[in-house]
Amino acid sequence: MTSMAGRVMVRGVRWYQRRISATTPPCCRYWPTCSNYAIEAIERFGAIRGGMLTALRLLRCRPWSDGGVDDVPQRFSLFYRFRWSKAYEEPRYWTDSTIPPASHGNEDD
Amino acid sequence: MNNQEFLLDGGFWGWLYKLLTPIEWLMTWIMNLFHEFLTFIGMPQVGASWVLSIIFLVLVVQACIFPLFYKQMKSMRHMQAIQPKMMKIQNKYKGKTDQASKDAMQREMMKLYQDNHVNPAGSCLPMLIQGPVFMCMFYVLSAIPYIAIGKRDTLGAFDQATAKQFADTHFFGISLQTRFTDPSTMVGGKVVIGLFVAAMCFCLWFMQRYTMKHNTAAASMNKQTETMQKVMLWGFPIMYIFSGIAMPFAVLVYWLTNNICNLLRSVWQVHEFPTPGSPAAEAKKQRDHDRENRVRAKEGRLSLEEEELERAKQAEAERLEKGFQREQPKRKNRKKK
Repeated sequence: MTSMAGRVMVRGVRWYQRRISATTPPCCRYWPTCSNYAIEAIERFGAIRGGMLTALRLLRCRPWSDGGVDDVPQRFSLFYRFRWSKAYEEPRYWTDSTIPPASHGNEDD
Repeated sequence: MNNQEFLLDGGFWGWLYKLLTPIEWLMTWIMNLFHEFLTFIGMPQVGASWVLSIIFLVLVVQACIFPLFYKQMKSMRHMQAIQPKMMKIQNKYKGKTDQASKDAMQREMMKLYQDNHVNPAGSCLPMLIQGPVFMCMFYVLSAIPYIAIGKRDTLGAFDQATAKQFADTHFFGISLQTRFTDPSTMVGGKVVIGLFVAAMCFCLWFMQRYTMKHNTAAASMNKQTETMQKVMLWGFPIMYIFSGIAMPFAVLVYWLTNNICNLLRSVWQVHEFPTPGSPAAEAKKQRDHDRENRVRAKEGRLSLEEEELERAKQAEAERLEKGFQREQPKRKNRKKK
C-alpha cells in the first residue's frame, strides 16, 4: 500500500526503535511516542504527508512542552492540534479498541 | 591526506551539510573568536591555542545543553508529588498485560502528567539535535585542510590563512588532521590516536557502569534490562573504536572532551538527583541527614536522633501519667452529670 520511500522510512524507524531507542531511557513526552507516531503516520498517509506530520510532531516534543496524548489525526491535516482549525481533534485518552475504565462509567449499559 | 576534491561536498552529504551551514558558520566563529582571545593574551598563533579552541567549543555546546538537562532533573523531583495518583492508575490496570490495557494506562498517565505540568521524559528533539551538531563538527574539521590548500571556499571564519594555521597545528607531536587509517601516519601518531580512542572508550564505559551500579533501583531490574545494559556497556565503546580510527585527530580531541564532560555531568546527576530506590538515593538520604545534624549542632539545637529520643521519652511520660487508654472525645455542650 505504501510507496517504496514509505517502506524504507518505516524500516528506518523500526531499526531506530530496536537498536538505539531500546538501549536508552524512554525520552518521549507524548503518547504514542514519536517513533510509533511516525510509523502510523507514514503507513496511513504515505511518505510525504506522514513525514510532514512526523516532522511537526518532533518539533512539538521539546523540553518546555507539556506532552500528553497526541494521536495521528483521523483525517489528514497539518493543523489538527490547533483549536481554531476545522480539523481540530480532541486528544483521545483511550482509543476505540480499549474498554473505558469502570470508574468513568460506561454509557452503553 | 589525499589531495583530491573534498568528498563531503558532493552528492547527498553535500546537500545535507549545505542545510547545516548556519551551525557550521557559528562553530567556526566560536573557535575563531576564542583563538583570537588566546593570541591576544599572548599564546602563539599556531599550536595549543587551536586545541584549546576546540575544547572551548565543546564547553559552549555543553553549556547550551545544560539548562535543558537541569530543568529535566528538577522536574523529576516534582514527580514525587503526583506519585499517589500514579499508583492509583497503576493499580487500576494491575495484572493486565494486553496491548489495549497498556495503551489505555499510558493515555491516562499522560493526561495526569499534562494536567500537572510534569513529565518524566526528556524529549525527542534535543536527542535528534545532538547528531547534526556532531556532524557539523566533523564537517568543519574535515574541511579545514581543503580550505588551507585552496580547494574549498572559505567556511565561516576560516579563510585560507586561518585554515593554514589550524592545519599546521601539532599536538602531542601529530597534526590535528592526522587519521589513524592514513598510510602516511607514523607509528607515534598511531599510538597517540590509539590512546585517545582508548580514553574515549573508557569514559563511556565508566559512565555507563557508574550509573548502572549506583543509579538503578533494585526493584526495576529484570533479566531483560540486565542483558540490555550489558550489551550497552560493551557494545558502544567497541563502536567507538571503529569510528574513532576513521576520524581526524581534531574530531577525537572534540569527542574526548565531550565524553569527559558527559561523564562529569552524569556523576553529578547521580550525586544530586539519584533515582528513587537506588543505592545512590540511599547515600543521598544519609548525606542530607548528616548535613541537617551538622547545621543543628552549629545552632546548638538537638540532632535528629536526639529529637526523636526526646519525643519518645515525652510520649512515654505522658502514657505513664494518663494511662494507656485514649481519652474519649467529649461533646463541648454536654450536660454535666
